[in-house]
Amino acid sequence: MSTTSTPPNSQQSSPSPQPTMPAHAPASLTLEGSEILFPSLPYDIQKRATSATQDPQLQAFVNNATLHKDTARKEAFAQWFGDKYDDLRTLGGQIKQHTLDYLDHYLDQWIDNAEAAGVKVHYAATDEEANAICVDIAKRHDAKLCVKTKSMVTEETHLVPDLEAIGCETIETDLGEFILQLDHDAPSHIVTPMIHKDRTAVARAFTRELGAEYTENPEALAMIARNHLREKYRQADIGISGGNFLVAESGSVVICTNEGNGRLSTSVPPVHIAFVGIEKMIPRRDDLAVLLKLLARSAVGQPLTVYTHIMTGPKRATEMDGPEEMHVILIDNGRTEILREETREMLRCIRCGACLNACPVYRKVGGHAYGAVYSGPIGALITPLFKGLKNYKDLPFASSLCGACYEACPVKIDIPKHLIRLRGELIGMGQASMVDKVFFRLWATSLKYSPTYRLGGWAQKMAFRMQAKLNRSIQGKDPYVSRGWLEKAPGPVAGWTSQRSMPTPPARSFRDWWRSERDGKTSDQSSSKTSDQSNGDSTPGKGA
Amino acid sequence: MAASHSKAKAGADQPRTTRKVMMARVHEALGRSQTQPPAEPAPVIDDDLVRLASATDDLPALFTKRAIEVGMKVQRVAAADVIGAVTRALTDRQAGRVGLSVYSMGDDFKLAESLELQGIETFDFASNAASLDAQFEFDAGVTDVRAAMAETGTMICTSGPRHSRGLSLVPPFHIAIVRASDILPDMLDFWAEIRGIPSPELPSSIAFITGPSKTADIEGVLVTGVHGPGEVLILLVDHA
Repeated sequence: MSTTSTPPNSQQSSPSPQPTMPAHAPASLTLEGSEILFPSLPYDIQKRATSATQDPQLQAFVNNATLHKDTARKEAFAQWFGDKYDDLRTLGGQIKQHTLDYLDHYLDQWIDNAEAAGVKVHYAATDEEANAICVDIAKRHDAKLCVKTKSMVTEETHLVPDLEAIGCETIETDLGEFILQLDHDAPSHIVTPMIHKDRTAVARAFTRELGAEYTENPEALAMIARNHLREKYRQADIGISGGNFLVAESGSVVICTNEGNGRLSTSVPPVHIAFVGIEKMIPRRDDLAVLLKLLARSAVGQPLTVYTHIMTGPKRATEMDGPEEMHVILIDNGRTEILREETREMLRCIRCGACLNACPVYRKVGGHAYGAVYSGPIGALITPLFKGLKNYKDLPFASSLCGACYEACPVKIDIPKHLIRLRGELIGMGQASMVDKVFFRLWATSLKYSPTYRLGGWAQKMAFRMQAKLNRSIQGKDPYVSRGWLEKAPGPVAGWTSQRSMPTPPARSFRDWWRSERDGKTSDQSSSKTSDQSNGDSTPGKGA
Repeated sequence: MAASHSKAKAGADQPRTTRKVMMARVHEALGRSQTQPPAEPAPVIDDDLVRLASATDDLPALFTKRAIEVGMKVQRVAAADVIGAVTRALTDRQAGRVGLSVYSMGDDFKLAESLELQGIETFDFASNAASLDAQFEFDAGVTDVRAAMAETGTMICTSGPRHSRGLSLVPPFHIAIVRASDILPDMLDFWAEIRGIPSPELPSSIAFITGPSKTADIEGVLVTGVHGPGEVLILLVDHA
C-alpha cells in the first residue's frame, strides 16, 4: 500500500498463454494437511517452515515485499521525524502502556460514551461468544448478505464460517482478502494479507470464480473486483468491521483503510457490527495524533492511510445517511490473561506489521509457517499466550533474537525480551528436547568445577579438531593454527552448523597461555600470539 | 469447509458475558477489585514532538504540496471561478449524473443551475435526492469539507444533516471545495477544535481523506479507485 509502485515480480508481465488452469477450486483451507491458521495442536513448525524455504516463488514474493515495506517505513520516519522518531515511539508506547495500566477506567469511560451515542455494546469472553453474538444479530435481521472489511480479530474468531452456517453469505471486501476468500486461502501478513501470492493466482481465481476474462494486469484485476463488489455493498444487510482504536473520551471506533471498503462497509448497510479487542483502547483523541502518525508510516510508509474513519454511534436522527444500528463487540478471548503485569506490554501492539517486515525469519518462512492468525515476531509472542505455550512451543524459538522487531516497533514492545522469557518458561515446563537437556546439563556441570571445565574444553577441542581436519578447505594445514571454519559439527550439534559455520578453537586455551605467562616460561611461541588467543578471530596465526 | 473447527453453536444458548463479568476479569488482571481512576494523568502530548505543521506555515501552499504528494489533484481558484471550474471538470469527464452537497459557499452559489445548463443532471443531498443507494449511479460527487489538514494534505468530511457519508466515497470522481480558511495546520488542531463536544453531539462519521482510493495488494503495484473514487480534485478557494 505504499504510494510508490514497485514491480517486484514482473517476470510474467508479458501476456502469458491462456493457462491450463484447473477448473475447480483448490482443495480447501489446508496446508500440509491441516487448516492454515487453525492447524491441529500441538503445532509443529518444522514441515511448513521447511517447505516455505524451498518454495522459490514464496521466497521471492515475501522477501521483496517485506524489504520494500521495511525501507518505506524507515524512509518515512527519517523524512518526517528525523531523530525525533525514537521519542515518538517512546510516547506511543507510553500512551498504550498507560491505557493498559488503567484499562478498567478507560473501558468504563468508553462504554458510557459509546452507549450515550447510541452504540449497542456487547461483551465476548471468547471467540465463540463473539461469533454467537454476531450470528444472533444477523438472525434477528434475517440477514442474507454481509460485507466485511479486513479485520484480524475476525480472523482470530474465525467468523465467516459461522455466518455462512446460518445461510448468511459473507464477503471479504478488502481486495487481498477477497482474493484469498475466492481462492480458499488464508492471510499470511497482518497488513498485506496476500503477500505470498502473485498476479497469476489472482487472474486464475477471478476467471474460475467470477467468470472474468483472463488478465494479469493489476489495474484490470482491481476493476473486476470493484465491479463485482459494488452491488454487494448496496445489497448487504450488515457491514462488519474490526477496529484500530477505541477512543475512551468519545466512545468512538476508528478504522484505517486505503481502499475505501472500510468506509463503504460501515456506511451503506443498515447495520454495522464492529469486532474490537479490548486492548485497542486509547484515552483521548489527542492520542490519535501520535498513534495514527505512527501506524500508517510503520505499516506502509504513508503519512496517513487514505481513509481514517472515526465512528461514534449510528446515524443521528438529524443525519441523512449511515447505519441505523451500530454494535460493538468488545472481545477478551485471552487478552485479560496477557494483561497481567509481566506480559501486559505485549498488548500495546497496534497491528502495524512492521515487525513482520523487519524480521529475517518471517522473510524466509512467510506467515503461514507460524500456524496461527498472528504471524511474525509479534505472532510468535502472543500466539503461545492465546493458544497455550505447549501448543506452540516452537514459536518462541522462531526468532534469531536479532532485535530488528524491537527496533521497528512503533510502541516499543521488547519482543526479544519476552521471547526469551517464554523460552525460559518452556524449559521450566520440561518442554526442552532431550538433546538440549543433556547438552545444557553437561555444560552447566562442566562450568561449575575447574577439572570438569578443563576436561570439557579438552573434549570439545579434540572433537572439533577431528572434525575440522575433515574440512577440505583447510586440509593439509594444521587447523589449530590456520583457524579454519567448522562447517559440519559432529553428532547432535550438526543441526546447529547446518545453517552456519563455527571457527575452530584456538591453538591454546587462555588458561594454558596464562599459566605459561605467569610462570615466566618463555616457550618457542612468544607474545605475538596473544591476539590469537583472544576471541576467535579467524586470522591466520603466525607462520605455520 | 471448516471441518476441524466447528464451534458455531457454542455459546448460543449460554448466558452471555455481561459488562460486570468482563470488568471483573480486567480488574483481576490488574490486581484490584474495582475500577480506579488513573493514579497519574495520561502522558502529555509533547507538541514539539508530535506536530508536523503549525499556524506560521503557509497553510494553503503546504496543504497543496501534501495533497499532490498523495495523489490528489489541486487547483487554486478564486471564489468567483469555482462554479466554472466544477463545470469544466465535470464536462471534461462527460459526467452525466452528479450528487451535490456544497453549502459553505453562501446562498448565491448557484452550482446546480449552472450544471443543469450544461445538461448535467444534479441531485442535491440536503433535499434528499442523493441517498447512499442512489449515489452508486452517480458519475461524480461534489462536496465541501468540514476542515482540512495541511500536515498531510487531508480533507475532513463528516456526516450531518447537510453532509453525506457517501458523496466523497461512492461515485468514482470526487470534487472537493476547500476554502483556505478550512485548512488547519495539524491533526492536533482538529482535535482541539472539537474538544469537549459530548459524544452524542459528534457527527456519527468523521472521515479523514488523504488521497484517492488505493491498493497495492496485487504484487505491490499501486492501483487507484478499487472501491472509493479513483480521482480526487480539490478546488482550493483562496478567499471565501
